[in-house]
Amino acid sequence: MSLIKQLWLAIITLLLLSFIGSLAISIATSRDYIEQEVRIKNEDNATALALSMSQLEKDLVILELLIAAQFDTGYYRQITLRDTEGNVLIERSSEQYGGDVPAWFRQLVEFEVPSGTATIQDGWRQFGTLELESQHSFAYASLWRSMLELAAWFLLAGVISLAIATVIVRGIKHPLSRVVTQAQDISARRFTTIKEPRTLELRQVTQAMNVLSANVHQMLSHESHKLDELRRHLQHDRVTGALNRDVFMGKFAAQLSSDDARATGMVVMVRVQELETLNEQLGHAATDRLLSTLVSHLSQLDGEASEPVVGRLNGSDFILLLPQFDDVEQLRQHVTKALADVSATAPVSVYLPTAIVPYAPNDQRGTLLATLDDALAQAESLSTHEQIVIRQRERVSLYSSHAEWRAELAAAIQTGPELAYFPVIDAHGDILHYECPARLKLAGEWQTAGVFIPWITRFDMEPALDLAVVKKALTNLITDLKPVGINLSAASITNTQFVNELRALLETQPNLAKQLCFEVPATLSTHEIGSLRGLCSALRPLGCTFGIEHVGAEFTKLADLHDVGLAYLKMDNSLIHQIDTSTNQQTIVRGMATLCHSLGIQVIGEGVANNEELICLFQVGVDGATGPGVQI
Amino acid sequence: MPAPSRHSPPVLSRRQFLATAGALCLGAGFGIHPTPAAAFDPQRLRQSMQRYGQAGLSVLEEWFSLLQQLQNKDVQAQLRGVNDFFNRHIRWIDDIQVWGQEDYWATPLEAMGKGQGDCEDYSIAKYITLKQLGVTSRYLRMIYVRARIGRSQITQAHMVLGYYSTPDAEPLVLDNIVPSITPASQRTDLDPLFSFNSDGLWAGGSSESRADPLARLSRWRSVIERMQTQGFI
Repeated sequence: MSLIKQLWLAIITLLLLSFIGSLAISIATSRDYIEQEVRIKNEDNATALALSMSQLEKDLVILELLIAAQFDTGYYRQITLRDTEGNVLIERSSEQYGGDVPAWFRQLVEFEVPSGTATIQDGWRQFGTLELESQHSFAYASLWRSMLELAAWFLLAGVISLAIATVIVRGIKHPLSRVVTQAQDISARRFTTIKEPRTLELRQVTQAMNVLSANVHQMLSHESHKLDELRRHLQHDRVTGALNRDVFMGKFAAQLSSDDARATGMVVMVRVQELETLNEQLGHAATDRLLSTLVSHLSQLDGEASEPVVGRLNGSDFILLLPQFDDVEQLRQHVTKALADVSATAPVSVYLPTAIVPYAPNDQRGTLLATLDDALAQAESLSTHEQIVIRQRERVSLYSSHAEWRAELAAAIQTGPELAYFPVIDAHGDILHYECPARLKLAGEWQTAGVFIPWITRFDMEPALDLAVVKKALTNLITDLKPVGINLSAASITNTQFVNELRALLETQPNLAKQLCFEVPATLSTHEIGSLRGLCSALRPLGCTFGIEHVGAEFTKLADLHDVGLAYLKMDNSLIHQIDTSTNQQTIVRGMATLCHSLGIQVIGEGVANNEELICLFQVGVDGATGPGVQI
Repeated sequence: MPAPSRHSPPVLSRRQFLATAGALCLGAGFGIHPTPAAAFDPQRLRQSMQRYGQAGLSVLEEWFSLLQQLQNKDVQAQLRGVNDFFNRHIRWIDDIQVWGQEDYWATPLEAMGKGQGDCEDYSIAKYITLKQLGVTSRYLRMIYVRARIGRSQITQAHMVLGYYSTPDAEPLVLDNIVPSITPASQRTDLDPLFSFNSDGLWAGGSSESRADPLARLSRWRSVIERMQTQGFI
């Protein structure tokens, strides 16, 4: 039996006990009191009557008159006069008063009042005995009435006490259920923290669990930072903190070939002209500081990403990837300002020729880099103050105006997206789920996300698209029941209306909802993590699972995600790329996998290119893999 | 480990305490009162007499030997013995002088202890003693009478004990003004008014009075109760 039920039982038992107890005591007391009073009355009246009769002449008629007068004007049930032999001389008696008292109550109470007796004296001799009984049946009625009143009063008091008890029980139940939820969360390795309840015992339990969660959080952030340091050491340039050439190239290739929004954007390349001369003029330390400043300013250009993709291709060439950027003119202004700021920090004049080239899905990396080199050479030759060359590509834009884009996108979402299916397998080659990026029919063809996502983002249509994708996935599940992973954008999960609609939609199909995995990109702000936590707890009862994709440097956030209850985490290709040849990379991935497993989170590698990588991944403890190298 | 076991005794004792308290409450609720012992108890009488000193105790002992002596005698002898005993051992003095209050009904023990008493104290003492000797209260009645003292016309309220061989017979009067037992008709100095005995007071004819708070409100009931606590009945 639950604690709350026991509490209720105790309260009700207590109420009933006090009700029955006080009723019994009240009836017993009243009964005793009435009995006593009636007895006194019987005795006193008998004595008084006998006393006055003793003074009279012992004429039966006079005595009868006296008895009749007493009987008729008083409240008596019976007055009997007997002679010394016990023979009845005079008797007066009346009916018992019934009233509307139930028989069972009369039986229960049943007064036992002895009749009053007194002896009548005739001179020295005894004349006879007077026996007198008062009418006491009225007492049943008054006792019955008082019992009814008491019962009514108790009913009222009971209702009030039950109301108070409800409040108290709720006051206990609410924090209790929170504590229970937290305990369940912890047993499911979601290390949540809750507000401490006011009840002492519950507070102690909660304190202990909160401390446990805090410890886990601390351990995670400590461990993940250590791993990240290792990764940084491996992937980043030591002087400037920019990515190494190989790592950058891997990321660039992965983004270009990726099937989502990251496949569209801008790439900016900056060359520090005459680096050697600068070295001589400023000295190594100052030059290094200048380069660091350059990288940090470049990083700030991509305000959205927590980990901007800035690479150092060689000593003097720096490159910045700006996914989802498409406004060249604005970018140009920003770049100009950033470079001017960098130049201003140097005591000597620094020339920073720059090339900006947009990229689109399925562009070749080599071609892009060649274009960049070409543009950069052109920029170097410019003698203007602003050495920026922009290579506008032949842009194959589907539609010419924003209005057209908006209308066409809305129509395409209305028509419904199509889903691509890419398998995610585990070490035994079994399907974990399918990654399902959306396709929209635009200009008569199914276009990949890289084409339309920048426009969707611009028009704030992510929630509508995501909802349409979930609907499509549910429709597909009816005929083909296999677990699918669906991307949700950060803009969607922070949208309350979207969350409500999604839940309402999933509640209509509870059986199919279990097959859905929702994935959000790893670039989450603290606010978005909060929204994700809310969404997870809202959809968890429906059986949906949650994952995070493209996790690279964001791994340090794992400590903040420890209480979300993620099912899996997809590791960015930059960590997976050629893992079979780098023991350091293996160490990092193994560490990540171990940490994630301690939270009950599966680790999946993204963008696995070949079988060697696949085998190596499973060897270091990764649970799943996806990418072009994964076949079923 | 001593630590956990150290915790258990207070828990147990608290439980015991609660159980005891609960049982007491229940007991009180159901009306389990200690009943006063109500029976003839010489030992208790001696204890009660302690406060009247040696004189009282010796009278009490005499009273005990009187009871023994009269135990199997006929009624007439018993009446005479009892009447003489009290007329001899108790001096007739008004209540106001003995007890400091108008009309105090003393128990036989109080009367014997003081060695003094009013008319009703004689009657009560004789009544109780005769009852103790086995004379049922059916035969005995205390009678309120108007008495003329000597040959004068002065009258005064008085009480005597009447012995009725049958309910409608002429009673024998046990009185302290006239020490010998005489039939009522010969007592022209007395006018009877009213009589009573303890018949109606002991419910159902049992010798135990129903212990109730009203007892002290009536003189007669009060003296009966005091006799019970002192050990007479």
